[in-house]
Amino acid sequence: MTAAPSSPSARVVLNADDIARMLPHRHPFFLLDRVTALEPGKSAEAIKNVTASDGVLAGHFPGRMLYPGVLLVECVAQLAAVIYGSAAAQASTGDLVADVADRVGYLAEIRQAKFLKPVVPGDQVVFRAHSGPRLAGLISVSGQASVGRELVMTARLAVTELDQP
Amino acid sequence: MVMTLNEATRRAAARQELCAQVKILLVDRLSLDVDPGSIGDDQPLFGRGLELDSIDTLELAMAVEDTFGVTVTDDDTHSLLSLNRLVDHIERARA
Repeated sequence: MTAAPSSPSARVVLNADDIARMLPHRHPFFLLDRVTALEPGKSAEAIKNVTASDGVLAGHFPGRMLYPGVLLVECVAQLAAVIYGSAAAQASTGDLVADVADRVGYLAEIRQAKFLKPVVPGDQVVFRAHSGPRLAGLISVSGQASVGRELVMTARLAVTELDQP
Repeated sequence: MVMTLNEATRRAAARQELCAQVKILLVDRLSLDVDPGSIGDDQPLFGRGLELDSIDTLELAMAVEDTFGVTVTDDDTHSLLSLNRLVDHIERARA
């Protein structure tokens, strides 16, 4: 018998390979490790493990490694792409995952981003994103990141809708 | 039906009040560097008017929904072209 997952966040809805089918991003800009909850078109939760071997931490900053806040925002944008990509995948194939990476929308606006605590190697960051109103080809997304019980980042984004096939 | 003078005056005052509220909302939510009182009722919101851009459309629609409980959909984006049109839209939706 295998051990039970140590936390509810260990639940795997999409693994990293699944996420890679939904996103055009690749190393060093493929940022999410696992999707742990997903309601296609509406909301999702994902985790990212921050590690000292991440190349970006070599330069940000030498002697004081901090995971860049802008990349926390990018993680929310990538999670938004998973929310809308999974809705498109479900509509076209009935599955949560499909090769929709070439139709991903773009980040159009970052509004009210707040960085509440530094994120450092060893932290497991939990991202949550919720889809908001859509208008004129844009969709509002509210996102947050937390480490343990502490909120580390909140932001509101606007992203463009997926290209239609 | 003919409107009484009192009724017409009351409606005009309510309209003016709503216009003022929407101007303050515009300036606050879109962080505009203008005095709300200097925005004309017929001033275009986009382009050479208040110089809003297409990305502001979504924020403006969300602000209107949050504040007045009135939604703006893809079918009525023409309501965002000027302050008067936006106020017309809010009044119609509330009627």
